[in-house]
Amino acid sequence: MAGVTFNHVSKDFGDLRVVSDLNIEVQDKEFLVFVGPSGCGKSTSLRMLAGLEEITEGEILIGDRVVNNVAPKDRDVAMVFQSYALYPHMTVYDNMAFGLKLRKTPKKVIDERVTEAANELGIGHLLDRRPRQLSGGQRQRVAVGRAIVREPAVFLMDEPLSNLDAKLRVEARSFISRLHQRLETTFIYVTHDQVEAMTMGTRICVLNEGELQQIDSPFNLYHNPHNIFVAGFIGSPSMNFFDATLTESNGSMVVDVGAFSLDVPESKADSFRSHVGMDVICGIRPEDIHDTNYLPQGIIPANLTTNVEVVEQMGNEVIIYLENGGKNFIARTDPRTGASVGNEMGVTFNLDNIHIFDATTEESLSYESKRKEVA
Amino acid sequence: MTEREPPTPNPSPKMREGLQGPNPVFAKSKRGESDQGNWARRLGEALRYGALTIVLILFMVPVYGAIVTAFKTQAEVSAGGYWTIPRSFASENFARVMDPDAGNLGLYLGNSLLLTIPASLLSIGLGTLAGYGLGKYRFRGDGLLFVFIVAGMFLPPQIALIPVFRLMNDIGLYDTLWAVIIIHTAFGIPICTLVMRNFFQVVPNALREAALIDGANEYSIFLRIMLPLTLPALAVLATLQFTWIWNDFLWPFILTQRAESRTIMVGILNLTGQYTVDWGGQAAASLIGSLPTLFIFIFFQRYFIKGLTLGAVKG
Repeated sequence: MAGVTFNHVSKDFGDLRVVSDLNIEVQDKEFLVFVGPSGCGKSTSLRMLAGLEEITEGEILIGDRVVNNVAPKDRDVAMVFQSYALYPHMTVYDNMAFGLKLRKTPKKVIDERVTEAANELGIGHLLDRRPRQLSGGQRQRVAVGRAIVREPAVFLMDEPLSNLDAKLRVEARSFISRLHQRLETTFIYVTHDQVEAMTMGTRICVLNEGELQQIDSPFNLYHNPHNIFVAGFIGSPSMNFFDATLTESNGSMVVDVGAFSLDVPESKADSFRSHVGMDVICGIRPEDIHDTNYLPQGIIPANLTTNVEVVEQMGNEVIIYLENGGKNFIARTDPRTGASVGNEMGVTFNLDNIHIFDATTEESLSYESKRKEVA
Repeated sequence: MTEREPPTPNPSPKMREGLQGPNPVFAKSKRGESDQGNWARRLGEALRYGALTIVLILFMVPVYGAIVTAFKTQAEVSAGGYWTIPRSFASENFARVMDPDAGNLGLYLGNSLLLTIPASLLSIGLGTLAGYGLGKYRFRGDGLLFVFIVAGMFLPPQIALIPVFRLMNDIGLYDTLWAVIIIHTAFGIPICTLVMRNFFQVVPNALREAALIDGANEYSIFLRIMLPLTLPALAVLATLQFTWIWNDFLWPFILTQRAESRTIMVGILNLTGQYTVDWGGQAAASLIGSLPTLFIFIFFQRYFIKGLTLGAVKG
């Protein structure tokens, strides 16, 4: 068991910098998720940690040991690959035992560990089969089993669920979370799926274009995004953004979107004051736009009449595509809403949860103050 | 074998209308098309099988000729031509060519094995190593090196006859099997490298990486992961190289002289006298000489399994 440290780590492929000055401290026994769009450097970071890619700059530590020049086999990590990478000519048993055999583990110990892990994973009856005789879900479990029997200090998982169908993926998600709780080992998990990241990670590390955007708990990432990228990436449907200007007159602050304007609650005004008179980007999540007829209690409302363009009935909620004065945005409302396409609808913005970003740096104006609140 | 169409029910006009919609023009044209399609397909099949039959006959005629001639006495061959069924099924031809004092084919068979097995193993072994390096590692000039090796395939061996003959003479290997082994290994490496490199290229990199993390070094990755996966390719190459080297006449003919280093293909030629041709003996020797390649083919055929890598990655 060990923590992992990325210390000013960068990676170049030729002239292309794919990971740039990454600084992360992963605590022992933590479940850290790297998430980001394709090409953001998340897999490369994991592969550098595994020893499958060289580190261009900086150093990576597992525990207290710098592993830059340590061979993959000596790093005490086990990895589950996106493609599973099971050895096709070996049985499930041999696949799982391969790493232990290479380490000259006594046969009795190998037998015990493989059988125990296989039974735990529900693949005990498949030990004599070859990978091609298994279903996708079973292969995925074998790949996890191969990692478990090694009893490594750090588990690395590179999009291990992306080849499973939706139902299996949900099952596998909880299965991996349970595994993490039982093994009490450091897990580092790469995914492009923000739902996976949010549901599994104790902390999430959001990457974009090789740069760390934010590393935080799922709750903080959602409610206090550091910048527009994180705000837009986490959450589905994603946050609505409006180009706006911030004005203040007679002590009350207003976000002017053009088509409409929103009053900033007094409690939030302080953190935005530095940007009065400047261009900003206003962000509001779909669930903070309500049908005026079905308002939750205790919010600071701002009412608006909108045109309904598309209604997606989900059963437990309704996703509505709205338009007002040329601005399009999405609301996630109470399922009882009477919205219908082509008609007008009264909506209410919950101004408590409004996000304001600097138009140039794209950073949240309230990030620091909210962070202090949480702390 | 042809695939049979499932019997199609012949619905009444009313039913057909119900099944195919109310548009009779559409229904009619669709039916017409399928009739035409059937006819065209049958004609295509007939042509294909016709062509295959002709090719098969062309291939089988020499084999037939060799078999019937091998069982005829010299007198019968002289009297009755080559294509008649033998009257007595005499085995004297086989006995004569195997006799150490006559055909001495046993020695030549042994020599051919002593040549073919090491030359096949060496060319496949070296080609596999080169193919693995070129297929799985990136290094400066790898593409150029690959082209350089494979270009060897485009050289007609005949242009090397005199230089190779003189070289072997100079280094004292002329008239030994070693000379032929070396030359066949050299000429076999390009094709082996090409096949193995292409095969290794499609083996997923993740397998190598998984093995690296599992604790394997490069040797055990090659021997325990990669090589078992390439068995089908190795089987193809083994068959190819064995057949090619076994059947080769040119190099042993040029590079050996004494009976002690003669291979079977040269041995068969030697059954020709100055004024006579031992047709029966040559046919019998040819049959004996083709048996090892036949066995090799039957033996390796079962390793020609498609899709051994299936299941390694998602599927």
